[in-house]
Amino acid sequence: MTKQKKLFAFRMKIISICALFGFFLFWYLVTDVWKLAPETLLPSPLKALETGITKWSVKKPDGSTLPQHIFASLRVSLLGFCFGAVIGVPLGIMMAWWEKADMCLKPVFDFVRTIPPIAWIPIMIILLGIGVVAKASIVFLSAFIPCVVNSYTGIKSTKKVHIWVGQTFGASKTRLLFKVAIPSALPYIFTGLKVSLNSSWGSLVAAEMLGSDSGLGYMIQLGRLLCRADLIIVGMVVIGIMGTILSAILDFMEMKLVKGAV
Amino acid sequence: MSKKNQRARALAYGGGTFLLLLFLWEILVRMTDSQIPFPTPFAVIERFVDMLFHNVGYYYTIVGHVLWSLSRVLAGFCMAAVLGIVLGLTMGWFPYVRAIFMPIFNLLRPIAPLAWIPLAILWFGIGEKYKYFLIFIAAFVPFTLNSYAGATHVDKQLVGAAKMLGANNAQVFFEIVVPAAVPSIFSGAQVALSNSWMTMLAAEMVCATEGIGWIIIAGQAVNDMTQMIAGMLAIGIVGFLLANGMRLLERRCLVWNNQGN
Amino acid sequence: MNKNVKVQVTHLTKKFGELLVLNDVSFDVYDGEFLCIVGPTGCGKTTFLNSLTHLYEPTSGEILFKGEKIDLRKHDIAYIFQEYSAMEWLTVKENVRFGLELKKQYKGINEKVKDALELVGLTKFADYYPRQLSASMLQRVVIARAFATQPELLLMDEPYGQLDINLRFRLEDEVVRLCKQTKTTVIFITHNIEEAVYLGDRILVLTNKPTSIKEIVTDELPHPRDIAAPEFVEMRNRITDLIKWW
Repeated sequence: MTKQKKLFAFRMKIISICALFGFFLFWYLVTDVWKLAPETLLPSPLKALETGITKWSVKKPDGSTLPQHIFASLRVSLLGFCFGAVIGVPLGIMMAWWEKADMCLKPVFDFVRTIPPIAWIPIMIILLGIGVVAKASIVFLSAFIPCVVNSYTGIKSTKKVHIWVGQTFGASKTRLLFKVAIPSALPYIFTGLKVSLNSSWGSLVAAEMLGSDSGLGYMIQLGRLLCRADLIIVGMVVIGIMGTILSAILDFMEMKLVKGAV
Repeated sequence: MSKKNQRARALAYGGGTFLLLLFLWEILVRMTDSQIPFPTPFAVIERFVDMLFHNVGYYYTIVGHVLWSLSRVLAGFCMAAVLGIVLGLTMGWFPYVRAIFMPIFNLLRPIAPLAWIPLAILWFGIGEKYKYFLIFIAAFVPFTLNSYAGATHVDKQLVGAAKMLGANNAQVFFEIVVPAAVPSIFSGAQVALSNSWMTMLAAEMVCATEGIGWIIIAGQAVNDMTQMIAGMLAIGIVGFLLANGMRLLERRCLVWNNQGN
Repeated sequence: MNKNVKVQVTHLTKKFGELLVLNDVSFDVYDGEFLCIVGPTGCGKTTFLNSLTHLYEPTSGEILFKGEKIDLRKHDIAYIFQEYSAMEWLTVKENVRFGLELKKQYKGINEKVKDALELVGLTKFADYYPRQLSASMLQRVVIARAFATQPELLLMDEPYGQLDINLRFRLEDEVVRLCKQTKTTVIFITHNIEEAVYLGDRILVLTNKPTSIKEIVTDELPHPRDIAAPEFVEMRNRITDLIKWW
């Protein structure tokens, strides 16, 4: 039985690898062999790979090398994300824990939340120009909202019985918050951080496309204007990889910090 | 009695904060003397009402623009729903389908939908098709993921019971797996809708000649802050209605499922 | 028996909106006794304990603990809830420590934790997380947490409701032993009449909603009790008759 299962799993793995291989082969055939798509629309995978490698050190056509773009994007997104988390998480916790804060801030927050962060881009550009601050504000907004929502939900879903345990042991309201509510909300808070990171990375790309002179979003936007599909694909791949790496870092932190969720 | 009191208190506090913020906004605008003409809240509301009756741009009132935007969201969303649900459910239930499509899906998934914009424009031009494609991408991922999760988390006992009664694999799939995945699909639809609403905005902001995203960008082009903020107000209102409409639909369709309530 | 009054409840009443749940309940709890409270299912037993500790603010009435108004901050009270209340994010050891820390009993905290774990036989599992434990172990963690703080009053709300019968008897014996050993005053809620007769020094029988006291029965059979003894059966039948609402 187990041997059969192992065999089955092995067969599935082979199929998966074949499928991936087939995907790239198909791409290769369409572009390089059958010549179904012009290079300006869909470059061959080899060409994209080549661009990806040379772009590492070549500044043309957009004025910066790939590492410079990555660095520019990373700096803005981390800046905005950290601010969003540092302000959003405590705010969510506060709103969930103190009824007055909830009643005052929840309606305002619910109103702001209905407007996607992307819609703020033009206003930010007018008010703050196309520099780091404008982009970081957009990233901030998109990180801030999920942080608040998830910390709020986390605190609100603290089990009643855990609060009671704390109360019967004579804990004050503040102590209850730090000893019971926050630890029990920690998994939710981490989910919020992950969602935040994802959405802030996404809206950063949009911000860089709509007004910027550096960053991965700018690079792919320029690739479009110059009909350099290879450049676009390189940018998209790098965006995907960076997003994955950032989430992996958060996953790792969650594993280290959130206890007892075996 | 006490519940009613509670409500009134919440309303008073919430409304009070709102008014306070609006008041602060008004004061700030009057006090500061910036080169950019930042509107007062009153001016925004006035403009918003004006937009309801007079054209923004040449052809449409704000309602027309919203309808344009909604038509795009609807098209992309529906395509994504059909394909995403089919792919997710079959990947969740049939191991071969999963083995073939999962790696490719996982390969493309980390790329943010907005990062597809340049390529989509190259492929489809700046017309409607490009927007449909982008919104499709944005909604496709949550639909697939949630249908997949729904199909893999089907109660094993139900499946066992059905097999005992002599159902074949296809019957189990259609009679048990699909209905059991519906709640999960609905929560995917919730995410998909807000994703596609956002992506639509980005797509329209990059290039469009009508639509709610265009209103904002057109405002930016002529430094008309009032139009931009009024446009954002409209975005907020429509987004709110969409999300709540979806929730209502979910509650209607899933009376049997009291999950998350 | 020592008859010092530990807790004095007078005219305790609790309403949820218009719904009257507790109707004018008055009784005393003596120092060091094991008081069982039984009543028909859904008669508001949990509300009863929660109002007693002010987890729910009582609508009217007064609860005095050693002559003072009861105050969870000031008085050493521990409460074992019906649901599993071990903190999932803390290890067994940290869970036991949790109560002591909140009570600010930092002196000799490590020894106290160790002793409490030994008492319930969980020393080997000190570094496990609740999710890795069985149901009975979880309840023992909570018991250890309660006893570690050496409470003057221990409240238990159907702590064994979800355990199987064998474990129940074992844990019941354990708790009686612990209470007698530490001279803790206990209020123990259950819907199981046999359990009440098995454990209690006195048994307080509640009526259906709105809840009030039907009778207080004194149970002076010697420990450990034999559930097959004729006196035991007689006592059980008597209380069963009292509870019958049909």
